[in-house]
This record gives sequence, C-alpha cells and structure tokens, in this order.
Amino acid sequence: MNVSLSARNIVKHFGGVTALSDGNLDVSSGTVVALLGANGSGKSTLAKIITGVLEPDGGGIELDGRPVRFTSPQAAMQQGIAAVYQELSLIPDMTVTENIWLGHEPLRWGVRVNRRVLLQRTEALLDLFRGAFQPTLEPDAPVASLPPDEKQIVEILKAISREPRLMILDEATASLDSRQVQRLFELMTTWKQQGMALVFVSHRMDEIFRVADQAVVLRNGATAGALPMADASERKLVSLMVGVEARSPATVVGAETVQRRAETSARIRLATRDLAADRLHEVNFTVHDGELVGLGGLRGQGQEELLLALFGAIPFHGKIILDDEPVHFAHPRDAMERGVAYVPGERAAQGLLLIRSILENLQLPSWARYGAILDMREARSDAQRISDDLSLVMASLDAPVESLSGGNAQKVVLGKWLLREPTLLLLNDPTKGVDVGTKAEFYQKLTELRNDGAAILFYSSDDDELLGLCDRVLVMQDGHIRAELQGDDLTRANLVAASMGAPQENQAQPNHAQSDVQEAA
Amino acid sequence: MSKLRLSPPLIALLLAVALFFLGGLLAPGFVNLAQAINIIRLSAFLGIISAGQTLVIISGGEGIDLSIGAIVTLSAILVFRIVDGQNSMVLPALAVALLAGTAFGALNGLGVTALGVPPLVMTLGMAGVVQGSILVLTQGQLVGKTAPIMPKLISHPLILGVPGVVVIWGLVGLGMWLLLERTVYGKRLFAVGVNRTTSRLSGVRVPRTVLLTYALSGLLSALGGFMLLGFTQSVFLNLGERYLFPSVAAVVVGGTVLAGGKGSYWGTMSGALVLTLIGSLLTAVQLPEAARQIILGATLLVLLSAYGRQRSLRQ
Repeated sequence: MNVSLSARNIVKHFGGVTALSDGNLDVSSGTVVALLGANGSGKSTLAKIITGVLEPDGGGIELDGRPVRFTSPQAAMQQGIAAVYQELSLIPDMTVTENIWLGHEPLRWGVRVNRRVLLQRTEALLDLFRGAFQPTLEPDAPVASLPPDEKQIVEILKAISREPRLMILDEATASLDSRQVQRLFELMTTWKQQGMALVFVSHRMDEIFRVADQAVVLRNGATAGALPMADASERKLVSLMVGVEARSPATVVGAETVQRRAETSARIRLATRDLAADRLHEVNFTVHDGELVGLGGLRGQGQEELLLALFGAIPFHGKIILDDEPVHFAHPRDAMERGVAYVPGERAAQGLLLIRSILENLQLPSWARYGAILDMREARSDAQRISDDLSLVMASLDAPVESLSGGNAQKVVLGKWLLREPTLLLLNDPTKGVDVGTKAEFYQKLTELRNDGAAILFYSSDDDELLGLCDRVLVMQDGHIRAELQGDDLTRANLVAASMGAPQENQAQPNHAQSDVQEAA
Repeated sequence: MSKLRLSPPLIALLLAVALFFLGGLLAPGFVNLAQAINIIRLSAFLGIISAGQTLVIISGGEGIDLSIGAIVTLSAILVFRIVDGQNSMVLPALAVALLAGTAFGALNGLGVTALGVPPLVMTLGMAGVVQGSILVLTQGQLVGKTAPIMPKLISHPLILGVPGVVVIWGLVGLGMWLLLERTVYGKRLFAVGVNRTTSRLSGVRVPRTVLLTYALSGLLSALGGFMLLGFTQSVFLNLGERYLFPSVAAVVVGGTVLAGGKGSYWGTMSGALVLTLIGSLLTAVQLPEAARQIILGATLLVLLSAYGRQRSLRQ
C-alpha cells in the first residue's frame, strides 16, 4: 500500500484571522512525520485540512501525485486517510464494538455480519494493545464506563479498523501512560514497515525523538522548516518554532502602559503545596502582592484545572495558603468572599448571562450588598462607575449582554469582579477572540490592578502576552509546572522549549516555590 | 427602541382586553363592570396557583412543577378538615396547609438538585405521593366544613365591590414583583435559569436557589388551595388537578420562556386573564366542551408561535 501525500501552500482563514498562510507537509509510505509548533501555529488546522474536516482557502493537496480535494472526512477516509483526535469522537452510550465499527460495519452479502464475527474482529483489534489496559476493556463495555486512556485506545483502534494508508495522530498520547505509549510506538513502527504513512502531532519533545523520522515545524501559520530527525536537535527544533525575528514584547502591549516591576513586595498572597486535581499533579508555587504571574504552556496542560481548583470550583488535594492561612474552598462563593476572582475562558458559556442585562451581569456576584430589598439606584450607580472605568461601549446598562461586541462582553466579565476589588485575580485566557484595541485596554487595566497591589495569576495561550505583561511565568506541561521563568530567562525560546518538555537555553535558577511555601506555612 | 415595545406580557394583556370586548359582541350583556370583576375574580385563583409555576419555569433546567394540582387539593382538604366551621381555626389551618405545601415543594427541590431527577419526573411522582397521602389522611371520607369568614374574605365583595381574592391577588402580584426584581433571590433565580455554569462561577449556590424555588412553588400552591376552598366551599379529590395544565399555560402565554431565565409574574397574571376569558367566552356562546378544548389549545399554539416568531425576528 504505497502512498504519498503532499500538501502545498495551504491557506486557511477563520473570519478575519489567518490560521494558515503557507502550510506545507510531505509524508509517504514507511515514514512517521512529526508536526510541531507553538500555540496557534496552525498544526491542528493543517491536520484537519488533510483529513477533510476543513476545506482549504488556498493551496492544494496531492495524493499519490494526483491533486485531490476532500469535502468531508468521509471523502478522505475513502482515500485511506484516518485520524485520531485528542477530543474524542466516541459515543459514550455505545459499546466499544459499536463505536469502532460505527459507519463502516462489516457487511457480508450486503447485510451486517453477525455479532459473533463482529466481536471476534474487535477482539483482534484489542489484542494489539493487550496487556496495556485493564481487563474491564471488553468489546461489550460501554465507552462511558472506560477511563480516559482506554477511551483513547478505542479511538486509535477505531481509526486503524478502517485500515488506513495514512494516519494522523493528533495529541493521541496525551492521556496514555508510558506503557501504552510504548505499545503505540511499537505498533506505529510495525504499521510503518507495512507501508503506512503516519503524521504525529505531540507536545512531548522526547516522544518526537523516539518515534519520528522527519519533523515539520509550523510557525505563525507557515511551515518554517522540514528536516529529518537525524539532523534535528531539540535546540534546532525550538529555534525553528520560535523564529529569529522575535518581536520585542513591549510593542505588543504598548510600552507606556507596562512597566515591569523590578522587585515584588515580600508578602506572599498565595502559595500552594502539592496541589493536585484531575489532570493536575502536585503543583507548588507562590504569588506575591502586586505581582502578575503568567501561566504558560500549550493548551490543555492543566492551566484551567489549576485556576478552577484555586477558585474552589473543582475538588482538589493538597494545600492552598491564602494570606498565610490555609484555605479549602468548597464552592466559588467561599473563594469570592475571601477576595478571589476568576475570569473564565469561555465567556459566553461560563462568564455571562447572554440574554440578561449588562447591569445584572455586572452585579451578579454582588447583589447581596444592596440590602434585603435591593437598592437599585446604588447598584446601578456602582455598575455605571465600573463600566465608565472600563470605557464599556453600550446602549445602556439595561441592554442585554448579547448585544455587545466580544471585547466589550469580556470587559463585563472582568468588570463584575472589579466591583468586588479582588485581592487575587485568576484569569483564564481572557483575551481570546478580543480585538486589538480592547486587548491593550485590558493589559493596562491588569497593570493598574497589579500596581495597586493585587496578585494576579494569568493564563494565556498567547506567548506575546506572557512575555510582554508578566513578571514571572510558570510553564505547564501534563499537569506539572515544568519551568519558572523570569528576568533574562523569560524568553520566547525558553517558553517554547519548556512547554515541549525540552531543556532551556540557559537553565533557570532552581525553583523557589518550595522554600516560599515553607516560609508561608 | 420605543418605550412601549410589544413584549409578550403586553400582548397577553392587550389580548385579554380585546377578548373581553369581543365577548360583548358575541354575547350581549358580557361587557359590564360586574362581569369584569367576576372575570378578574375567577382569574385570581388561577393566577395565584400559577405564581409558583412561574418561579419554577424561570429557574430553568427543564423546570416545571406538575405537583401543583395535588398540592392545591391537599391544602384545601387540610384547611377544610382543620377549620371544621370555626372562624378561629382559619389561621392555624392556613399555617398547617402552607407548611405542608412548602415541605412537599422542598422535597421536589431535593429530588431535582441532590438526586438529579428531571423536574418533570420528580414533580409528577410527587403528585402521586401527595394524592396518596390525601387518601391516607382522609381514608376516603372528606369530612369538615369551611368557616363563615372564608367566603366573606375571599369570594364575596370586600372593598368597593372588589372581592377579597382580587385584593389578595394584587398583593401576591406586588410581592412577586418585589421577589423577582428587587431581591437577591430573584436576581439569582434569573441567573440560574439562564446559565448555571456562569451562576456557579459567579458565586451563586445553584442547588440552594433551585431548592428554594420548588419550596416556594409548594407554598404558593398551598395558598392557592386555601383561596380556592374559600370559593368552592367544598372539597373533592381532584379539586386542584384541573388547574395544572392552565397553570403552565398561563405562565407561557404571559411570555415566560420555558427554557428558563426570562419571564415575569405580571405576564402570568395577564396569561391567567386570557385563559379565563377564553373559557368564559366559549361558555357564553354555549359551545360544547370538546369544541372549547380545541379552541383553547389552538389559541395557545397561535400565541406561542407568535412569540417564537418575534424572537427569531429580533435576531
């Protein structure tokens, strides 16, 4: 089964945003190509164009030397292209067998083969990973009952059941344990020898070196380089991902608005000791008064879980020490009453009441201040003050939030917490989908808050924000803090290297978090 | 944006007025003050019974209270039995009935929040439980008597020819407006109805708000049962049941969104007027029961599709 695929000069826009400007990728039988890139570099977009999930706006794909255009994932599948995604495509209420064969149930004489044959084929697929999962993973088990790693295995088997010629694995190892990863790599080697072509997207540098034959590096929507792994080093790959032209961080934010504070005051606002939750492992760090600490790393590495645990929104283990006092918030309300605020990542789904008024959105956490029979005049004047302060562009306080632009809606989410004058502000990628002008206002506001003494923990998927705005950045990977970067160590190259689990250029000094916690306790 | 936007509650109110004058055309003698007061009096019972339903539907999460009818009946029967003809027992009997209604409502709330039972199933089951409790309580014998003061205070003219129940309905309306628009609970109720994740992440204890809502619904249903008894002055086992469907209909006709998070009690009040008027009008023109049902159902469909259109036009 010889196959070769060549994607040339792929362009893809989403609205006004260019996700890919010049994506190139070649892969052929018997090779594993690793696809690398920082957040927003376009690797998922490129993978989705190759598998027919998205249609390109420009450029072309050649399969076996002939130009092709996939209008749907089904069209790509018919050409032998299958994909394994991290966001699982399984149906929870169906069994393992039903999920694997869904949409291509084996037929004999035009009718579905009987159950026994189907189960045998499923068993044969499961044998590929035999020994690397619990005995509860059976053909008849409902997918909902499986742990994440076994779901991922089923997802892989579902792709392989279509006997693809080209398979794309998009972060397929993220939820697997080391033994399962080892087995997957052995299988990938076997499939490769049988003539399959594989594209492997991973955020783990060591895995890329173990399994890939070639690397394709994307940067800002364009292929920055393609090289055989034999010629690659971690340093080389990172420098390809970062590029040489690294913009000066200050230009991103507006130099006059941000002055990085040279020293932070000694008082520790927040410290954690072995904080752990779902997808978060024993995290230790501190945030001082008047300090803006960034959370970096690729998406979905435990940053959101960390913020939610601090806000009391998800169960956690370990210790949280706020203002020298251990706290254990069981509900966001408890955290709120101690001066903690959280700006969620999905503002429509988690931050706003879309059909309700701006006034009600701003005051939602604070109504209890206005008496048993609410003093609406005061509530309104407080809301007006905050919206003036944030220069909110709106028809009136009574207009529904859904009538606002994305940037102004996000100001409402921030504004409802500013009304409470938080002492610890947690932000989950707050500038996502926000226009440039509003972003600048946002940065200015955060800087003001910091200068007024608030402690801020700021997760951003935009490295420019981390570099330009933060005093210190904690880089997360797989639920761990991999590096703590500040001062001269806070560089784009170090951010990218740490997020991929590679060593930094000049290793940051040993982590101070642990000793800070000791002092705080 | 003009000040008097044609919102669903306003449409319902205008429709009620229009129906009243339409009644005058169809049945001579329909349009006069006495008839108007009578219509409002009849609407008051439905209106009070629908107050709890309004809260539950605003709370979202497929919220609906199907135990309202059974709680109305239970309340009436409890009062009937405890009062037993004595004026002095009216207040204690009312207190017991309100307490019982609140307790069953709170159980609904517990089932919905702590056990995660869908509201439709939970409250339907609770309706069965309440009906069963009534049978256990009464052993099938509905003994008791209303007190003389009850019809005087409730259904007979009280002030300037206005019956007590209408005055009380006005007070309930004022209280509901305060509750929804001027208390922390009301603001949180709308928030919970729109988006529970946002509410929780803004510090609202969602289960507590929902539980309180179902308990309030039980309380208001029990109050409705008390009022209804003052009107009928006798009890029977399905006294409240015929108010169940109209209670949902009144809320929806009044523009409260079934998905939750948006609505008002003055809308429900208008809705109760519309439903009562349609009923009276169809009786006045002497249509058979079957035809009345068909016309009532069709009117609801027309109104609701009009509201739906309005929303889609806006977007």
